[in-house]
Parts: sequence; structure tokens; C-alpha cells
Amino acid sequence: MGLFDRKKPASTARRRVFMLGIDGTPYTFIQRMINEGRMPHLAKVVAGGTLLRMNSVHPTVSSVAWSSFMTGKNPAKHGIFGFVDREPASMKVFIPTSQAMKSPTLWEILSAAGKRVVVINVPVTYPPRPVNGILIADFLAPKLEKAVYPPALAGTLQSWGYRIDTDPWLGHESKDKLLADVNLVFDRRVEAMFRLMQGEEWDYFHCHIMETDRLFHFLWEEMETNDPVYAPRFFAFIQKLDELIGELARRLDEGTDLLIMSDHGFCTLEKEVYVNHWLAEEGWLKFAVPAPKSVADISEETIAYSMDPGRIFINLQGREREGRVPPAEYERWRERIIQGALALRDPDSGKPFFRAALRREEIYHGPLIQQAADIILVPYDGFDPKGSVNKGQLTYKGPALVGMHTYDDAALVVAGRRIAPARTPWVADVMPAILELMGAADPGDLDGLSLLD
Amino acid sequence: MEHKGFTIWFTGLSGAGKTTLAREVEKRLRARGMKVEVLDGDVVRQNLSKGLGFSKEDRDTNIRRIGFVCKLLTRNNVVAIAAAISPYRDIRDEVRREIGNFVEVYVDCPLEVLVERDVKGLYKKALAGEITNFTGVNDPYEPPLNPEVVVHSDRESVEESVEKIMRKLKELDYLPPAPEDVYSEEEAEVVEERLRSLGYI
Repeated sequence: MGLFDRKKPASTARRRVFMLGIDGTPYTFIQRMINEGRMPHLAKVVAGGTLLRMNSVHPTVSSVAWSSFMTGKNPAKHGIFGFVDREPASMKVFIPTSQAMKSPTLWEILSAAGKRVVVINVPVTYPPRPVNGILIADFLAPKLEKAVYPPALAGTLQSWGYRIDTDPWLGHESKDKLLADVNLVFDRRVEAMFRLMQGEEWDYFHCHIMETDRLFHFLWEEMETNDPVYAPRFFAFIQKLDELIGELARRLDEGTDLLIMSDHGFCTLEKEVYVNHWLAEEGWLKFAVPAPKSVADISEETIAYSMDPGRIFINLQGREREGRVPPAEYERWRERIIQGALALRDPDSGKPFFRAALRREEIYHGPLIQQAADIILVPYDGFDPKGSVNKGQLTYKGPALVGMHTYDDAALVVAGRRIAPARTPWVADVMPAILELMGAADPGDLDGLSLLD
Repeated sequence: MEHKGFTIWFTGLSGAGKTTLAREVEKRLRARGMKVEVLDGDVVRQNLSKGLGFSKEDRDTNIRRIGFVCKLLTRNNVVAIAAAISPYRDIRDEVRREIGNFVEVYVDCPLEVLVERDVKGLYKKALAGEITNFTGVNDPYEPPLNPEVVVHSDRESVEESVEKIMRKLKELDYLPPAPEDVYSEEEAEVVEERLRSLGYI
């Protein structure tokens, strides 16, 4: 028995699952929208089923969270630790993709079990790995032609005007331009989704809406402060999302479970916190060039450096290109940096930035733990630790990026089933539940756990 | 993930940089999740080849033993990296034939530079006649005629030499794809720009 009870009979008939991913949409926000009557269709689904609060992952970014969802595992088993990473021996910076993912995904497991899948836009699915069905990769794809499995479908998507992602630079130009693009990309994605739903055979269908995250990054504060111009336009998009949910609920048959989930929550950004600036101020980070572009430019004098968001690496002898800290001093430095990070305060408000600074072994377990950062900072909501190397200040808040991710406010909606887990679930718990719903075998090495046992 | 086994064989005079390069290449390959074992000449002589001297016969035996271990590792899909002077061409070629997947790296460095460097203090002793059978001074060294890679440790940085070796391994299709191989430069720029606009870079 897994995450879900069996209010719906697990009959011998083929069971299907439709998953709608709504990136970054908080549980608390969904509750508010339901209470305010702004999402009536979702309210109806929740009334007949369940809305659960979930924890995300550390660090709280979509690449790590969706990787944990799709593998049912913690990062030390799937190998995705952030949107950027470095190869320590060369200090080359790279973008981890599906190729760095060392674990089979939900759709690969279902494919192997003979199920047919359609997967649209889930983060870290580029380059597309073969499935029994269709996979359209995420915004890590440089162009649509390379984002699609089987590749022949790319032309069809193009003819439908399908777009991989909003252009987030528009959000730096103007909120209006961003809103227009978010709406356009959403409409095109939904159109492609309905066409594939109707035209393809599928047992598992996953459509990922990234536009929520994009909207929230650039307009969350305007929504929270009830900005007279942008809050209504924000809610207009939410209404459109709600109509999509209503349409899905209407179209899906009795044999199909509708699930809706987000990977993390959102809050208003108070300040970005430049961890590398702090490390440099402490004398622990030095660059070999006057205008560094990335952590590839650190000098051999460096003790520690950080990559987005709030991942701190010790410049360790024998591991990093020009490691300085001998293994015997590793723990001493980790402790010192942890204490330093916890003591850090916002110079303006006096508020602490970080609620915790975790050693990797406190949150990760598995064969790839050596690839993880040595320390993972857990910020208080509002303070967003960034990995920039070229900021001449500790904190900043600009007009464009006004929202940030939160850890403990992800959401799961299950239509037609009542669930009352004994503990707070996390994003990796959903995958084993889907396997169970679809009658596919649990591969046995998942970290996601049944919540009813 | 499984990768195919092969042997990287570093040959060159004492002090030329074989061990340094072997260790750097080892790090790079491990970072790609590959299984790697380094057989360092100096270390091997303390165990596997303990008691052997520096006559041609003993040297050949030493190299055959290292070659044998490399062969076992290679056929079990491990990358074997040998770093040994291995001065004689015929025996290196024999080991190459035995192993099959063989990448010979000639670490070239002029004798004058090595005498000048003399990290282990051995050249001074050899030139003073305190060490006999010292390769390059009073024992022959036969450079490879067709090595897969030649590095010049007198005028290349370690990084440059390692890059050269990694490029050859890639060309020979011995490397599983690295994260940075996913994108062309132009594509990486597109994706990085997107990540930058969201504040992730």
C-alpha cells in the first residue's frame, strides 16, 4: 500500500495517470486561491480528493527537485545537485543535464514495463533519453529541433508554434513583455498538450507548466502587495491555469488519475545574498584574474567557493584543480565556514540569512555524494543565496527578480482520492505512488517512501 | 555506467613528468565516473617487481609484469595507466600487441632540462658515476616511433599536456561523454544566457 488509499478500485482495467506539473506553485498559495474563489476548478478537484503540503529538496531549485521526483531518489543517487556544477579536477563549469542523471526516470521505468508515456517539458530531460512514447525536453534544450524524442516530432511541434520556454530576459526589460510571453508560451504548450493527449496512445502523461515559475520570479511581489496594475494580470494567468485544470478534470476518464504537483514554493525576495562576496571578504576566496567569470577563475589561495544556490565547496587538495585545504583540515574548515554562515546578518535589518548550514552527509546518501557541495546553506525565506562571482556587494535587490523559492511549501493534488499521510511527504514520495497506481514494479532502491506504512 | 577498458602507457626519462601526468589524467577520468588504476614504475619496483635490477633483462621483465597487469585491468573494463621509463621500444611494442587498447604517451623532455630540474637528485649522482644503468645518462632510451601522443614537459604546462591526452582519448572514442560535451559552444551560450536571466549563474 502506498501513498494513496484505494478509494478507486484497482481493477484489472488499465490505469492511467495524468500529471500536471505547476512549477513553484506553493501549497499555501493554492489554499489562498481556493479560499478566495480564484481557482474554482482546482477547488472542486481538491474537494473530491486531496491537497497536500510537501517538502522540496536542498538546494531548493527545480533541476534538483524534479530530478528527485522523476527518479524517486535523493541527489546523491541521481547526480543532479544544481543548475550549474563544476568538474573539480579541471574546475570547468558545466550545466548538468539528463546525461549527468545516473538513475532511471519514472518514464523510463514505465517504458520498460511496456507502458506508453508522453512527457512534456520536465526540467533536466535534455538531451531527451529514449522512452516508449514521446519526450519533449525542457528549457535546458538550446533549440526545439534537438529537444524531442522521437526527433521527427520536432517539425510538427514547430508547425504548432510550440515554444520551449519564455524568454526570461524579457522580465528584465519589462513586466508587460514578460507577461505577454508567459501567456503565449503557456497557450502554445497547452495546445500541444491537448493535441498529444488526443492523438497519442498513453498510459502516463506528464505536462510541465514552467510558466508559473517564470511569472512568480518576476511578479510575485506585485501579487503579494496587490499591485494595481500587475496583481490583476497575475491573477488572470492563475485563472487561465485554473481553467486548464477544469478542462483536464472534465476530459480525463474514470480510469485515469489526475495528479497536480509543484516542486517548491515561492515567496517575495527580500535580498539576493552573494555568498562568494562574503567568502572573499573573509579572505577565504581569491581569484586568479581581475574580472572573474565563474568559479573556474579561483586562485590556488582559495579555501572555499560557492555555486548557486548556497552550495559551498572546500578547495580541497587532491580533489580541486589547485586544492589548498589538506584533507586533515577539511572538517575544521567546514565547521568554521558553517559557523561563519550562521552568524551572517543582513547589515540593514540585522536578520540572519541562513536557518541552517548542512554538511552534505546530513541530507544526501548514495554513491554520488562525493560530487555534492561540502556545505549546503538553507536560507530564511526572503534571502536567496546566489553563486555570482563578480558582485562587489553582499546583497542586492533589483526590480526584475522579485520572487524566490521556498523549501517547505510544495504542493500535491490528487483528484478523487483521500490521503492522510502520517508525515510530511517530500517530492520523491510521489514517484513510487505513481508506480503503484499504474501497477508497475518498484525498482527497489527508491528513497521515496510509502506514506501509509 | 560501463565504459571500455584501455591502457595509457606513459614512457619517458626519469623526472620527465610521467607520474604527475598519470595522476592528473587519473583525476580527469575518475571525474567522468570511470574506473582507473595507476601503475607507477617507482611503486611497482617496491612490490610487484621487487628485487629486479636495471639490466635489460630485468627491465624487460618489469615492463612485462606491468603490461600483464594492465592487460587484466583493460579486459575488465578498467582504465590502466602505466607510468614507467620503459626504455626499450621492442618490449613496449610487445605490451601494446598483448593489450590491444593501448595509448602510448611519450613524455619528451630534453636531458639538459632534466639534469637542471633533477627533482630526485638522481641525475647528479648518475653523471658523477654513482649510479650505473641510469637511463639517458649511461643506459639507452629508445623513443617511440609512433606514439599516440607526444607531450613536451619542458615547454607545456601540465594542464596543456593533460588536455592533449584527453583530446586523443576522445578522438579514439575511449571516453564516455562528459557533461561539457552535451552542448556546442554556441548552444552552451544560449542555455547559459537563459540561466543567467533567472539568476542561476
